[in-house]
Amino acid sequence: MTDTSAPLASRRRLPVSILIGTGLAVVIVAAAVLAPSLIPFDPMRMAAGPRLAAPSFDHLFGTDEFGRDLFSRVLTGGRLSLGIGLTAVVSGLAIGGLIGLVAAFAGRLVEATLLRIIDVLYSFPDTLIALALVAFLGPGIENATLAIAISLVPFYARVTYGLAAAERAKPYVEAAKLAGIHTGRLVRVHVMPNIGQSLVVMGTLGFSSAILSAAGLSFLGLGVQPPSPEWGAILASGRNYINKAPWILIFPGVAICLTVLSFNLIGDSLRDLVDPRRKDRS
Amino acid sequence: MSHLISRKRMTLLLAAAAIGTVTGTAIAAAADLSVARSVDADSLDAYKTSNTQSLQITNLIFDTLLTMDKDGSVHPGLASAWTMSDDGKTYSFTIRDNVKCHDGSSFDAAAAKASLDRAIDPATVNPSLSAWGPISGTAVEGTDLKVTLSEPYGPFTSFLTSIQASFMCPSSFASAEFKPVGTGPFKLVDWVRNDKIELEANADYKNFSPLIENPGKPHIDKLTFKVIPEAVARMAALRSGEADLVEPSLEEATDLKDDEAYKVYAAELSGQQVIAAFTWKIKPLDKPEIRKAIGMAMNRDAYASIAFEGLVNTANCPVAPNLFSTDEALCATWGVSYDQAAAKAIMEENGYTAENPLKVKLLVHKLPGWDQMHQIMQQDLAAINVQADIETREVAAFFDYMSTVNEKSDGEPAVWTMGMSGVDPDYLYFLWKRPGFVNMGLNETVDTMLEEQRKLSGDARADKIHEIEKYLMENAYAVPLLSPGWGWLMASTSKVDGFKMGFMVSLLFNDVTVAE
Amino acid sequence: MLLLIFKRVLIAFFTVIAVILLSGILVHVVPGDPVTAMMAQSVSATPEAMAEMRARLGLDLPVWQQVLLYTWHVLQGDLGTSIRGNESVAWLFLQRLPNTFSLAVSGLVIALAIGLPLGFIAAINRGRLAETVVMVLAVLGVSIPAFWLGLILMQLFALELGWLPVAGSGWRNIVLPALTLGLTYCALVARMTRSALIEVLEEDYIRTARARGLREYQVLFVHALRPALISIVTVVGLVFAYLLGGQVIIENVFSWNGVGRLAVQAMLQRDYPMIQGFIVVFATSVVVVSMLIDILYGFLDPRMRKS
Repeated sequence: MTDTSAPLASRRRLPVSILIGTGLAVVIVAAAVLAPSLIPFDPMRMAAGPRLAAPSFDHLFGTDEFGRDLFSRVLTGGRLSLGIGLTAVVSGLAIGGLIGLVAAFAGRLVEATLLRIIDVLYSFPDTLIALALVAFLGPGIENATLAIAISLVPFYARVTYGLAAAERAKPYVEAAKLAGIHTGRLVRVHVMPNIGQSLVVMGTLGFSSAILSAAGLSFLGLGVQPPSPEWGAILASGRNYINKAPWILIFPGVAICLTVLSFNLIGDSLRDLVDPRRKDRS
Repeated sequence: MSHLISRKRMTLLLAAAAIGTVTGTAIAAAADLSVARSVDADSLDAYKTSNTQSLQITNLIFDTLLTMDKDGSVHPGLASAWTMSDDGKTYSFTIRDNVKCHDGSSFDAAAAKASLDRAIDPATVNPSLSAWGPISGTAVEGTDLKVTLSEPYGPFTSFLTSIQASFMCPSSFASAEFKPVGTGPFKLVDWVRNDKIELEANADYKNFSPLIENPGKPHIDKLTFKVIPEAVARMAALRSGEADLVEPSLEEATDLKDDEAYKVYAAELSGQQVIAAFTWKIKPLDKPEIRKAIGMAMNRDAYASIAFEGLVNTANCPVAPNLFSTDEALCATWGVSYDQAAAKAIMEENGYTAENPLKVKLLVHKLPGWDQMHQIMQQDLAAINVQADIETREVAAFFDYMSTVNEKSDGEPAVWTMGMSGVDPDYLYFLWKRPGFVNMGLNETVDTMLEEQRKLSGDARADKIHEIEKYLMENAYAVPLLSPGWGWLMASTSKVDGFKMGFMVSLLFNDVTVAE
Repeated sequence: MLLLIFKRVLIAFFTVIAVILLSGILVHVVPGDPVTAMMAQSVSATPEAMAEMRARLGLDLPVWQQVLLYTWHVLQGDLGTSIRGNESVAWLFLQRLPNTFSLAVSGLVIALAIGLPLGFIAAINRGRLAETVVMVLAVLGVSIPAFWLGLILMQLFALELGWLPVAGSGWRNIVLPALTLGLTYCALVARMTRSALIEVLEEDYIRTARARGLREYQVLFVHALRPALISIVTVVGLVFAYLLGGQVIIENVFSWNGVGRLAVQAMLQRDYPMIQGFIVVFATSVVVVSMLIDILYGFLDPRMRKS
């Protein structure tokens, strides 16, 4: 996953990497959103072309073992992969954020208990957590998404706790407490806006790690199932064609790389811009 | 042929020039064979494991009392002769003289009894326990091992030829820690779990199996099994010469077949059968005609030729071909045949149209080829207005889930697939007799027939088994799909000669020579 | 101070107990048990046979009894034996730990060898094109699915070029998986190096040093690099933890006989003692390490004793 350290001294002009990242992201998201009108074939249709045909004018990315058009599948798969990433991050962030806030503001005993649990969960490889969850929940795109979301929870809980605890120590929180403001309101009105920016950044970075997790799960055969054209699933079912029809591996692989790269670049640069002097490195 | 070998040698020489270290072993390895499989053995104790990868190894270390020929007939093994009493409850096996164990001790009737007693001891927790049959007593009489059964058990002698029915030398289990000592063609040298198993040829070996030509010690000296989980990596190992014999990826097996530098082996005697079944207690799958329509939609030829790359055959019976009593032609007359138009008509008569399709789940577990088969099956079903959602689980979760689903009589109907293997059609008993494997048991009629066949032998038993098969298929409880279906392929470089595969995908290395 | 240590040890102890109990319950809640996994496609899987086997393995007891029993054994230092193969869980771990560890260390060395210079270059070229190029390259590494990169490296170096073996456990086998991990995680190292160095370069004493007219390389290597290295070293531990986790799939691709592969296999086979053993070992080491850090902080910083 991603680290949480990146102090940077001063704000400066928009870095080039964020432009590259945003440019890529716009193209990828647009391709995914517009996929239904861009694709020349039904992504599920077998024998849309010859089996295992190399990329050509008719089939820009070639065809797979059933003669399905890979261009149509990769584009449609983008909707799935991005959807999984978005859903997983939003729900993971919501749950993790809530746990982090509760840990920071609900008293010492709760804090100690939650922190221990988070630390232990955080130490487990997230692939393993997701794997165990998929075994528990059963197959399917919804369950894979849920498993990834939950595997992100410890990370977000930790980050949110770190931010909130730093915020807690600030004079205005003390002042608000003395003024008798209810903790819930305090968090909602004063703390949230202050840490929101950082959470959005973490969300961007989590998005790319969620897409990688989804692909990894599919690769182990436990994530999104065929015939669904999720990128990881295409890679998983096409990997034995690495000698015969390498394009089945190349195009979805490149799609994953570019997507993850773009959101990592955006997230990294945003983090530098948003948090000039945060030293959360524990 | 000769130019091929020289090409191979060229590659080796080039590699030698490039690296200079590993090639020394590659060229000197004339009498050694290295095999790469996807999974390691769980255990080398044949009484504590039932998985193929383990039994493939134990079958090399241990022998069986009896052996089976290609046609399913039973022949002598460690026992040179055997008799059955008229009531079918007492068997007597004459154990051969001068059979030597790997540690030099001799294998006699007393050893056979000790081994059998351990196999059926409940404390052993033998997963194959019930397949040994209703054994009530064992005794040694001179050179004979006597076995008494509480009731007749028709499949007994067939079972004694199978790879689960290894006989061990008592020194294997004399101490607390099990160490495999057998009479088989290979001795265990070293085992690093999940990495490699090293075996060496047993110089004293005497062969009794009709599937093997070499009467004595295997031609190769050393046999190493490596574990390479990823198929891409196994193929790379085969091509780079790191392994001589591998479980190939299904996707590339046909290419290897067409390449003179490689050989592909398919187990003809796998005893494996792949079937589709139904949650027949759930509407509308309680109607035989709906089940039949779904069976008629299944394009088994496409599954065999596309999903399995033409490396398996379609199969007509609920029991694998080549087993006792299996008659593919006869089964074909009972089962449904592929006819999508007729199937669609049946579905429409029952009110399922393109706008209002029948929604079912297609419940499956992961295996190479199967994933592809299910995708084609999904399309087949769509063509007859059946909308099937594929749900794939890993094996443990799948069978657990199926036992729940098969109990239900309401909820979403499901079509599911499974595979079963054995050396005798008696596996019908394990599957279909109530409650049955994962609760797939059927009814009183089937239970009775299944009990009856166990007590019969010869033609009478064959007739009874046919009757059961006919019932299963005419009522479309089972749709036979393919045979074999998993782990049945091996591929080697062309310098390997004489490799064979026996029943239940056992690996036979006795006749193997490695050309150089 | 003693009270603090006592409290920390007590908390750690109960955390471990809680983890064992929790993991025990969770493991049993997952559908599919070791017997189903073992008997799938076996010719003798009658329900009676399976029930008999469950009873023999103690799997027929109520879950709470199994969990308590297990916890009791663990407290006595016994991790039990695996269901598949009947081997000591502790031994299975110990056998693989060196492999996992050596792969993680090699991966880390490669990540550092690539990441440190990249981060350094990025830091001293702040705001220039070089920084962007370097950082985009580094981030590209972490953006490639590791299994995909692994397959491509294997195809290239093992099959096409024949320089390295595909699978096995010799020293030459570690090169490809370590390279895959190193390329994947060098971005983290580069980013941390860059941040740490930039932070140090903003410090007053660096400005003073510059103002004193020291040469730039002296400023960088003598005054800036060393303090930056200290913060880098602390984050190396973090990267190391990622490496151990990131290995799960790579171990599979390169047939590396490590703990990750063992864990995945145990999970698929529902080998309860193995899964729980994995959780217990992992959780205990984490809890002990964080306990030690807490106590250490207590020594170093009196203010921490309060919280």
